[in-house]
Amino acid sequence: MHKKKGAALLSVIPGLGQFYNRQWLKGLIFLLVGAVGIYFIVFNLTGYLHGLVTLGEFPSRMVKVGKLTRMVEGDHSIFMMIDGLIALLALLFYSAFHVLNIRDAFLVGAARDRGEPIHSFGESLRHMGRKNFAYLVLVIPFVAVVFLTILPLVFSVLLAFTNFADPILPPAHLVDWVGFGNFMKMLSLDVWSSTFSGVLIWTLIWAIIATVTTYIGGVLIAVLIHQPRVRCKKLWRTLLIVPFAIPNMISLLVMRNMFNNQFGPINSYLRAMGLDGVAWLTNPFWAKATVILANMWIGIPVTMILAFGVLTTIPRDMYEAAEVDGAGAFYKFRMVTLPMVLFATAPILIMQFAGNINSFNVIYLMTNGEPVNPNYQYAGHTDLLVTWLYKLALNQSQYSFASVIGIVIFLLVATFSIWSYRRTRSYKEEDMIA
Amino acid sequence: MKKSKRSKMQAVSFSTVLCLLLALTVTACGSGNGNSATEPNASLNSAVNEPAETTNETNPAEEELKAEAGAKLTVWEAKEQVEYMKQLAADFEKEYGVPVKVEEMAGGDQGARLATDGPSKLAADVLTLPHDQIGQAVKAGLLLPNDVFEEETKSTMVETAIQASTYDGILYGYPKSVETYALFYNKDLIPEAPKTWDDVVAFANTYNKPKENKFAIMWEFVGYYSYPFIGSFGGYIYGDNNTNTKDIGLNNEGTVKGFTFLQSLKGILPLNAGDITYDVKTQLFQEGKLAMNIDGPWSVAAFKDHVNLGVAPLPKGPDGQDSISFSGVKSYYVNSYTAYPVAGRLFAHFASNKENQLKNFEMTGAIPANIEAGEAPQIKDDPIISGFFEQFQHSVPMPSISEIKSVWDPLKAAFVSLWNDPSLDVKKTLDQTVSTIQADLASK
Repeated sequence: MHKKKGAALLSVIPGLGQFYNRQWLKGLIFLLVGAVGIYFIVFNLTGYLHGLVTLGEFPSRMVKVGKLTRMVEGDHSIFMMIDGLIALLALLFYSAFHVLNIRDAFLVGAARDRGEPIHSFGESLRHMGRKNFAYLVLVIPFVAVVFLTILPLVFSVLLAFTNFADPILPPAHLVDWVGFGNFMKMLSLDVWSSTFSGVLIWTLIWAIIATVTTYIGGVLIAVLIHQPRVRCKKLWRTLLIVPFAIPNMISLLVMRNMFNNQFGPINSYLRAMGLDGVAWLTNPFWAKATVILANMWIGIPVTMILAFGVLTTIPRDMYEAAEVDGAGAFYKFRMVTLPMVLFATAPILIMQFAGNINSFNVIYLMTNGEPVNPNYQYAGHTDLLVTWLYKLALNQSQYSFASVIGIVIFLLVATFSIWSYRRTRSYKEEDMIA
Repeated sequence: MKKSKRSKMQAVSFSTVLCLLLALTVTACGSGNGNSATEPNASLNSAVNEPAETTNETNPAEEELKAEAGAKLTVWEAKEQVEYMKQLAADFEKEYGVPVKVEEMAGGDQGARLATDGPSKLAADVLTLPHDQIGQAVKAGLLLPNDVFEEETKSTMVETAIQASTYDGILYGYPKSVETYALFYNKDLIPEAPKTWDDVVAFANTYNKPKENKFAIMWEFVGYYSYPFIGSFGGYIYGDNNTNTKDIGLNNEGTVKGFTFLQSLKGILPLNAGDITYDVKTQLFQEGKLAMNIDGPWSVAAFKDHVNLGVAPLPKGPDGQDSISFSGVKSYYVNSYTAYPVAGRLFAHFASNKENQLKNFEMTGAIPANIEAGEAPQIKDDPIISGFFEQFQHSVPMPSISEIKSVWDPLKAAFVSLWNDPSLDVKKTLDQTVSTIQADLASK
């Protein structure tokens, strides 16, 4: 009884509990890891963590020695932030080790209390390999995910709470924490809030229209081509898939010239037919319509392929049964084809919607956010949140604001994804089983 | 699907790459940061102290400056100049015994890369920046001043180049080349370059055929190319040579006059501003449909073999005044994080001397910033370069303070909206532009 308690208590210093349990080699390893860990925490990590809180105390500066100016390196707030984050994660990893160490001592102590024989080191290893193999293998990707995915994400989120933006540029300046200041500015300062709401609304409209148009277009085309009476099915499919096969970066740049009001071929055709051309890219409304058109051209093939896959899986006899019941073509589509296709592709629809909120290429390459909007801050009529973010960060060095927008985008995408995913689940359960 | 994924990646990649870079380098140099901050004097290495101690006001600086022992330099250079830079690097090594490695990097990217790579100690020791990027780099403390060679630089380079490489009264750059835009004309369509805008209008009235896409003249409707309609009429962006952000001259009488004049030109260029893209006008000019094109020396190569090219100063305004263009000055700068600050200075100084500027001109067509080089016969007698040179005399350097970023978008919006919709009230639109700029400045 007392052994498990004693072992656990002793383990507060890693390894001692294991020594107490007479697992010498294991104890030694734990002791070493613990000692190294504590050493780094005391001598390195605390400094880095302090840096994460203060974000630096001495900016770098220029000193003149005789005629030569020399830079004296100071603190670099952004580097300190990353250092601090790495230290924080390392601390978390160490805490996990410490907890495991206590747990191990406790469990072995408990086994001794029950009078079970204790494992030798080799046996422990074998036991671990047998019971916890999955965890052992997962440790590597887990560490990679923490440092390569979670760390940058946390970093970019943290930026939103600093004043890291144009005039305050390290290393000559120190960045400070400003709490929710940037969020408040975004909502209360007129120049920011009007752009933010305008761009946000257009982003949502864009995401809905872009998703719906490509989806409906893709399904309709797939159903049309799938009709038994349509010949050369392969040819049609190949032709329609071509836009998808060309890197859309190239096709979008080409389209930008095709839609040129004066010199583009599209308006030339229209004029040749006696119509006035349309101001495709220079009128705010038509620019929005044009990017949606271009997006359809690129996006429809994707839905089409998906729909083809689903269509081939619909059993023939369902249609035959429908025909026996006297269903016409439209009724068959509505009652058989559409539910089957919708059911199979609904999860894709959500992903497309989330993706369209972040549809960077189409906007950036086709219009670059233009036409210009004199009332917006660094954004044009067709800018989405994500292209605005890009412009703020790369052209304007407004990193903290860009990161605020990044958080907003994340919240949007996450909310809509979860919300619509729930809806499709219920849809699946109710309709398909009935 | 693929589209959305890729675009997401692009957007995220900036932050990810930045983070990774920082994360990787921080581990290498993190502890060094702390040390040097607490004991600044220890970080002055002996190589720097040496010349400082022996500094004698009367001696010319270059005799006493010695590159650090074992110094080796890395230089960033844009693709079109890499060949030239490699030769230069070899010459420098021969003369100073310091090896120089040339890395290719597009001119426009070097400033942004310096901001991330400089403090990580991954950036080149010497790099080239267009002068409008130095404001931000100086504010972030990324550039070493041109201190040792200051007087020599000031006496050998054209005034505009010095002014452009100076920030807050401190000279940072070692000027390399200058550029401005001028009037490209197709001699087959218009044998003599028009002297005034009246001549342009007169020519356009006989030449323009919008249905066949034939036009007399085109330029891009962004602040940079449209600036002559501000500057030549007494307007300006910021006061005190583009340094005083409290004084915005974009809605003063001169600018209003210039924009009103600009609107009067719509008759000879009846297009939406947004349709006149760089691609479009380049192609029309190459095809011989566009008679005149306002463009810069970087485009000469694209036209030389296609059209019977002439380059002239921009046409004079309605009151007979010269058209004032924006000029750009490229200079070498020394990275403040360089391990070899003296060698870096020596190289920047060497690369910007008269002989090397002339060599650069011969190899890449870059127009020298050095006064004597500008007077060399091969520049004076070159019909194309002399056209740019003449226009350069009537140019002002683009603003280099980073607050200029607040201007470009609203200014472009003003040009575009006033051009597209001639019924707009000029003064009101410009007031709106100025208040947008002021609001933006205030929000920072």
